[in-house]
Amino acid sequence: MTRLFGVLSMALLISTPVLAHHGWGGQEEQVTSLTGTVVQGVSLAGPHATMKIKVGNDVWDLTLAPPARAERAGLKEGLIPVGATVMVRGNRNLDHARHEMKTIYIRQGANEYHVYPDRE
Amino acid sequence: MALAHVLTWLEHSPLGVFTRSLGVWSYGVLNLVHILGITLLFGSILLLDVRLLGAWRQIPLAQISRPTTTMAQIGFVLALCSGIPMITVKSSDYIGNPFLLIKFPAIALALLNVWLVHRSPAWQAHRVRALMPAEQRRLAFGASLSLLFWLTAISAGRMIGYW
Repeated sequence: MTRLFGVLSMALLISTPVLAHHGWGGQEEQVTSLTGTVVQGVSLAGPHATMKIKVGNDVWDLTLAPPARAERAGLKEGLIPVGATVMVRGNRNLDHARHEMKTIYIRQGANEYHVYPDRE
Repeated sequence: MALAHVLTWLEHSPLGVFTRSLGVWSYGVLNLVHILGITLLFGSILLLDVRLLGAWRQIPLAQISRPTTTMAQIGFVLALCSGIPMITVKSSDYIGNPFLLIKFPAIALALLNVWLVHRSPAWQAHRVRALMPAEQRRLAFGASLSLLFWLTAISAGRMIGYW
């Protein structure tokens, strides 16, 4: 039995680094700025809030904070309308084939949303 | 692909609309219930399977099988009832996610295995008498499959969010 638990604990330890995601591990270190047009407004549903913007011909998936934190940053569903021009800053996915960015900051006109102020 | 249609339909289903309307903590709370369900399910199953594989032979099997199967059933219902609304929140996000194609078949195989074990003569017999070596081997085989399928389902499920 003791040996069995040893084996199970080892398996857990080995698998822990894989679980280190959901943070910023899959994102680039450097901050990227994008300016684009909103094609899908802020959604506060799911494990994290999201929105989509079009930059040139590419549609970017913007991953925001968990819904409660995004809401505390002032984001509400329907607040930034589809078609609005926004400037966003964040860390894009290491895989450049995926147009995905974890978003730190959003500006629409005079409105600023500090999603991750500690990362600005 | 047909699965993509199902996922898109799920997202726009009344349940999806309702779940999304529950506020910013809804996903977190559903996720919490899902994890509690899985810990109950797998914790109980692990105890039973390890016993079937030969550990703690001094404890009569029937004394372990009753509480563990009851708890596993409660855990499964909790995981199911939280998992269904959770997947409807943004089902279209999972289109093309390979872990989904591992998780759900693994759950189906795990449930099939539960059904086969429970209708086996060895399982029927364990409640009323000590088992013959051949019957013990039958149940140990079922326990190995159980661990394989449930661990696969849980691992693939956990990895869905990391794809």
